Amino acid sequence: MLLEINDISKSFGGLTALQDITFSVEEGETLGVMGANGAGKTTLFSLIAGHAKLSRGTILLAGQQIDGLRPDQISALGVARTYQIVRPFRGLTVLENVAAGALYGSHQEKSMAKANQMAHEILTDVGLDDRANQPAGSLTLAGFKRLELAKALATGPKLLLLDEVMAGLTPNEVNEAIGIIETCKQKYNFTVIVIEHVMKALMRMCERIVVIHHGEMIAVGPPEEIAQDEAVIQAYLGAEK
Amino acid sequence: MDILLSPQLLAAALITGVLYALISLGLNLIYGTMRLLNVAHGDLVMIGAYIAFIVFSLFNVGPLVSMFGAAVICGGLGWFAYKSIFQNLLSNSQILARLEENSLLLFFGISVVVQNLVILFFTADRQGYEYLSAIVEIGDVRLTGARLAVLIVGSVISIAAVLYLRFSLFGLAMNALIQNRDASAVVGINVDRVQMFSLIIGFGITGLAGALISVLEPITPVMGFPYTMSAFVVIILGGLGNLWGGFLAGLLLGMLEIFGVAITGPEWRSVLVYGIFIGILIFRPQGLLGRGKIAR
Amino acid sequence: MNNSSNSLRFIGIGAVIAIFGGLSGFASEYMLGIGFTLFMYIALAQSWVILSGMTGYISLGHVVFFGSGAYVFVLMWGLVPVWLGVALSGLVVGIGALIIGYPVLRVRGPYFVILSFGLAELVKNLVLINEARMYMSLRPVFGAPSLAQLYIAMLVLAVAATGLTYWVRRSRFGAGLRSIREDEWAAETIGIPVARLKLIAFALSGIVPAMVGAIFIMRSGIFQPGDAFNPIVSFTIVTMAIIGGSDDAPGPLLGVGFLVILQELLWANWPEIYMIILGILLISFVLFAPSGIYGWLSANISRSKKNAA
Repeated sequence: MLLEINDISKSFGGLTALQDITFSVEEGETLGVMGANGAGKTTLFSLIAGHAKLSRGTILLAGQQIDGLRPDQISALGVARTYQIVRPFRGLTVLENVAAGALYGSHQEKSMAKANQMAHEILTDVGLDDRANQPAGSLTLAGFKRLELAKALATGPKLLLLDEVMAGLTPNEVNEAIGIIETCKQKYNFTVIVIEHVMKALMRMCERIVVIHHGEMIAVGPPEEIAQDEAVIQAYLGAEK
Repeated sequence: MDILLSPQLLAAALITGVLYALISLGLNLIYGTMRLLNVAHGDLVMIGAYIAFIVFSLFNVGPLVSMFGAAVICGGLGWFAYKSIFQNLLSNSQILARLEENSLLLFFGISVVVQNLVILFFTADRQGYEYLSAIVEIGDVRLTGARLAVLIVGSVISIAAVLYLRFSLFGLAMNALIQNRDASAVVGINVDRVQMFSLIIGFGITGLAGALISVLEPITPVMGFPYTMSAFVVIILGGLGNLWGGFLAGLLLGMLEIFGVAITGPEWRSVLVYGIFIGILIFRPQGLLGRGKIAR
Repeated sequence: MNNSSNSLRFIGIGAVIAIFGGLSGFASEYMLGIGFTLFMYIALAQSWVILSGMTGYISLGHVVFFGSGAYVFVLMWGLVPVWLGVALSGLVVGIGALIIGYPVLRVRGPYFVILSFGLAELVKNLVLINEARMYMSLRPVFGAPSLAQLYIAMLVLAVAATGLTYWVRRSRFGAGLRSIREDEWAAETIGIPVARLKLIAFALSGIVPAMVGAIFIMRSGIFQPGDAFNPIVSFTIVTMAIIGGSDDAPGPLLGVGFLVILQELLWANWPEIYMIILGILLISFVLFAPSGIYGWLSANISRSKKNAA
């Protein structure tokens, strides 16, 4: 198992954001996480990436306990994360953004020249290399999303956490994004957990899907099972009322 | 430890505390509504003090009258600052991204310009004047008439201002802006207007406090900065946007300072003020009384 | 082509440094004094850039390093050889920065800025109290090296500080710092050990100013806490770096050159006018050219190159 989430809970003050979540991810798998807004999906990512402290439970990466470590230590162990609300280094160039990932992350590349070379290659993979020397702040939303992905890829992840990298994109751009992620996954060999609101994308990309509702895990299984799951249908219809 | 029970010191602490409360109220409004860190805030105290001094020298009119003039003039400066610099700044998204740091550098520059202009016109020498200097005795407490007047007027105005900002329509709009900027615009609050009036009221109250302070200590071009520091301590202690919290924190800081100096000695005054300031920033950025979190 | 133009540039820089150094042999006291001030502010502004330009933790109290270095130096005066004393004050202040840096750098953004100012004032007042206890309102420093020697020492520090900024800007360390400046949270996410890098930058940016302070005290011949911790020095450093540009080594050189000339013209007779101009310059650059003269120039040059291509 690459990632094991053992019975974790998280509460902020008196509010429970996540309760008794348990699942695991196999190496090479693409796992989807779905749920309504505020269900606790992003909190789950924050816990895995070390940006928030667990209230209970443990998280293991390749058998090693990672909860309690700092985000940069977790990144060095090979967990990369993108943000739903993009966080580019606006004042740096696109290339510098991505090279920073290669210089730190799990690559810890010591040579600037090699890091830049790596960054160029990844930018080519995501189709941004012609923008390499522009200030990152000048990109479009689709560009920001690709940069977010490229930065995460540059750290050399074993596990990539994608938080709504397709939200706000046009259907065409969504197709391109799925293509990019799948190609990179083949090429760099990592495992993916993806949060997505674009249902079709989720169904297409994922081998299994975890459904979170009001902080609790109500279903896990292959997409076709999830689509017919009573609890899921009820939760979603209930949420719409 | 008898010293801590002295009513004389308590009165001194209340006077300092009320002034801190008044000055920090202005800073709280401006930071709360616009996220502008006005490090030139204390210079408004200085300007208010000079206005009172000039009015007294020219017309022999005391600060209890001229404080209203100081409030109007400083409020006018707030209006001018908003129209000339901040209205555009607050609508420029590129600058807005680093607004807090940039506003700090801007106000820092403004502070240097203002202080040196004052030095050019009035020299760097200490100024002062005699006003209500007869001693008044209330029980065991002996105060000059001026200090008693400052205590009464300062308390009345700061409590009135807090009540007004708590219960008036403008106060509600302002509070909404402090809590959530984006949502306020959505529910139909005229953000632009609220910001402008926050700056005017914030500057005005502080100028008024400066006029009161002019009878308590020597007037110099650099007298303002310690008040800037104290005001920051107060709003951090009391919690951002929490006006009652700020009022209480002002009194608390007055106590800490006056009793602290009484225990350690006058040469420790600055060390105490800066020490409290640094300690608060490092250890309790969320404040002691506050609900709002001021530091990220 | 690129290589030969690079080596040409290094020869040019070497020649400029050699000429400045050679001047110490025959320039007038007055000229040496101006050179001394110029190098002093170059060293200070470059050091400021290593912390504030690179990480975005804007220090309004950089004089704290300068003053502490000067104080450590006068406390050791007469006890150790002069130049060892200078080096030791850099070392002591650097270690001190490592110790106080940890809690201080947890305070982020604008709060760090006001904290840095308060810290400088706090240290000044502590030194004042300590001096009053030791019955020292001012300490004369007798038998300091000649101005020509001090001039050379300051030149060395200016070159070292500029070289350090140049190196940091192009290093892996600098890439980490500049990422922290843009978004500390995101920097940590891609594996940058933010607390450690900030602390190193804080200490690095304090060492040279401490040595500058030590040398400055030998030039002024007297240590007074009010002068050694003068907030105007902090303000001048910030303004120089912002006017010139604080993202690379050439920026501070431009800003310092400009302001030292202005200071020379105005300070003696019209200090208030000088300060007012300084304030207005700071305001204008923050509003209209936040990347400074150098940032503006390089943006325009790269744009015109692109247009030409």
